[in-house]
Amino acid sequence: MINLTIDGKPIEVQEGTTVLEAAEAAGVYVPTLCHHPQLTPYGGCRMCMVEIEGAKTLQPSCTLPAANGMVVTTNSDKVLKARNFVLTLIFSERNHFCMYCPVSDGDCELQNRAYDEGMTHWDLQPNWQPFEVDASHPFIVLDNNRCILCRRCVRACGELVGNYTLGFEERGADSMLVADYDVPLGESTCISCGTCVQICPTGALIDRQSAYQGKETEVDHNIGVCVECSVGCQRDVLTRDNRLVRLEGEWDAVLNNGLVCDQGRFIPLEEDRPRLLSPLMRKNGSLKAATWQEALAFLGEKFGKGKGVAALASTRQSAEDLALFKSIFADSLNAELVTSLEEGKNTASLAKMADKLGKPFEASLDALKDTDAVLSLELDLVNEHQVAGFFVKRQLLDGTKLIVADAKDNSLAEHASQTISLKAGEETQFLTAILAAIENGHADLEFAAVAKILQAAEKPCIVYGSTFASNANDETIETLLKLANKIGAALIGVKGNANSMAAAQLGLEAPFTSDGYESVFLMLGDENPSQKLVKALEDIPFVAVMATYSSQLTANADVVFPVTMWAEQAGTYLSLDGRLQAIPQALEAPEGVLTSQQTLQKIASAMNIDPAYDWKASLLARVPTVEIKEV
Amino acid sequence: MTKPKVASDWLCGCAGCHMSLLDIDERILQVVELVDLRATPITDLKEPDEDGVTVGILEGGINNTYNEEVAKKMRERCKILVALGDCAVFGGVPAMRNFFGADAALKRAYVDAESNDSEGKIPSDPELAKMTRVRAVHEVVPVDVHIPGCPPDADVIFYALVELAQGRIPEIKDENLHWH
Repeated sequence: MINLTIDGKPIEVQEGTTVLEAAEAAGVYVPTLCHHPQLTPYGGCRMCMVEIEGAKTLQPSCTLPAANGMVVTTNSDKVLKARNFVLTLIFSERNHFCMYCPVSDGDCELQNRAYDEGMTHWDLQPNWQPFEVDASHPFIVLDNNRCILCRRCVRACGELVGNYTLGFEERGADSMLVADYDVPLGESTCISCGTCVQICPTGALIDRQSAYQGKETEVDHNIGVCVECSVGCQRDVLTRDNRLVRLEGEWDAVLNNGLVCDQGRFIPLEEDRPRLLSPLMRKNGSLKAATWQEALAFLGEKFGKGKGVAALASTRQSAEDLALFKSIFADSLNAELVTSLEEGKNTASLAKMADKLGKPFEASLDALKDTDAVLSLELDLVNEHQVAGFFVKRQLLDGTKLIVADAKDNSLAEHASQTISLKAGEETQFLTAILAAIENGHADLEFAAVAKILQAAEKPCIVYGSTFASNANDETIETLLKLANKIGAALIGVKGNANSMAAAQLGLEAPFTSDGYESVFLMLGDENPSQKLVKALEDIPFVAVMATYSSQLTANADVVFPVTMWAEQAGTYLSLDGRLQAIPQALEAPEGVLTSQQTLQKIASAMNIDPAYDWKASLLARVPTVEIKEV
Repeated sequence: MTKPKVASDWLCGCAGCHMSLLDIDERILQVVELVDLRATPITDLKEPDEDGVTVGILEGGINNTYNEEVAKKMRERCKILVALGDCAVFGGVPAMRNFFGADAALKRAYVDAESNDSEGKIPSDPELAKMTRVRAVHEVVPVDVHIPGCPPDADVIFYALVELAQGRIPEIKDENLHWH
């Protein structure tokens, strides 16, 4: 332990703590700009300069390790003068006229620091050199005029996301934030995760969807979980006057520490599908607006008994919705088929193994954040479950080996240390071959290389996707377990949509073939129906749908109930690694639109069903593939 | 005791800061009780008293040779000079033209503007003031009090006026400090 004094306060800290962290622990505020808790200390802006007894010059506290007996002063005249001078220099470097900047008044850390220091004016005039604004990107505007060269974005792009798109060219005052080798951001290798925008302290990187829509002082925060995939990133939904303003990764999140991907940050704001605002029912062949009473009565007639009925639910629905849905259609109505739209493709083979073993065998995603070798089986973490991909990509420069096993085009392959062909349907042979290569060294070159990497690793991970899970049989999973056991690997199955695992826990895993059903009930919610689903339902005599948006599927349906979209309902989601996380309601639903829960309850009444269910108990009743923990 | 004299003028700004001053509403009566309001652009007297005023207030940046004269005259005749608003403090919105230069700005306004006829002449009368780079007031004459804001809030202006009227220098910080 290290003992030092900060502004007269004695404080004891762990070895390796910086003076800035020590000051924070001692309750002493030191202003910063280039520093960010999620990034490696950089010492670029000099805002955090402090006086150290015995040192000739002021020292940046963010990079200075605390030492025994250190006497630190953070508020002497010398420090305050230096701080003011640093700010003066930063303001003089570029165009920092606050009155025409979208982050002014609360959202700009540079302006906030100036306010803190009581700067009423600039002693030095700005450099009147204008720089081009890069608005080539669909979501992000890059404005070097607002840049303070703190490199937070560059470090976030590399250190956190592992994408290394942003960088600086030239030196000193000529330093310019550029993408790749100075190409327009919109034509660069940027993957639109938006971490740079979220971490930028000024208006140099702004998101065009939310610029001028609402400042920190004007928005409401709704911290929940992203519903775009099963990774379950914690996300802040910023709203203002019942309008979605912006989506941000939650910095304090257990798993994602501020990261989300384009699907979680930007795409939901582009939503433009026409909204359903009243029940619809087919009268004389055409679909017309109907009252709730009419539509419910119509439905009740058709769904009197379970014979010939198939019920399908989207895995974007909350655990509460899925449990109620199951209670109505499986437990009460005894429908012939009650399943999810994923039909268990991403989970069934794995869930079956957990049933057999009687205990979980998969690991937490945290394992992927600290690993030295990753074997990725038929999974493209660049195009799906992206944040899990960030965890892998950002470790590659530190020597983590990535083995990509796939037969399809896989964007993760360009980051791989080793690629190996894995044909769909040959998963068992493939895993057997790796195991054989490890156990007795007999293998062709490719397998030997894979075996070597896995054997040398101390904390290997095996991740697998939907193709793998749907092709796997008992033997495949057994071989996978043997391999994992042999090399001490953590197993991570990425599953499918946000509540893929909840559907699996509820046993909503049966395959759906459209033949022979008289009627189908579909809890679609805000999911975009696939063409395959639209086609599969075409020949069903009667189709009832709960949906948020109008689509070809709802146009073909016989009765349609409007429901809320993800931000308009509260619920619980079970991530791919068993984190049970709640989402608060962020927006009010449009008039006349009910939540899926409320709609299901109405539908149950119309069918004379009084559902009795305990969503949490049903969720926990089955042995999970990975331990379930409430977050 | 005689009341302190206050004069104001506007330079290269939009008059918004003076409008914000008027936004103090009925509190202007309190101000008038405390100070002797002399020349302002919104009263009849247009120039600060030759024998001087206590407080001079300037709105707007300095954009041409005429602004320079006005600023210098105000500085000579007042004890405490206040720069009111972002244009006076930083250069403000008019300072955007510094990024392109006065010539480009004149051309845009008098030649290229959509409303101009084909002749589009840039005024060149020798009587006209000469355009310069847009500057904050403190680049031309020393300023004692900076009150940024676009415009400064009426409450901030009222606070500053009351402080100045009672012989104190207002401290523009915390809740009173805004640059927008």
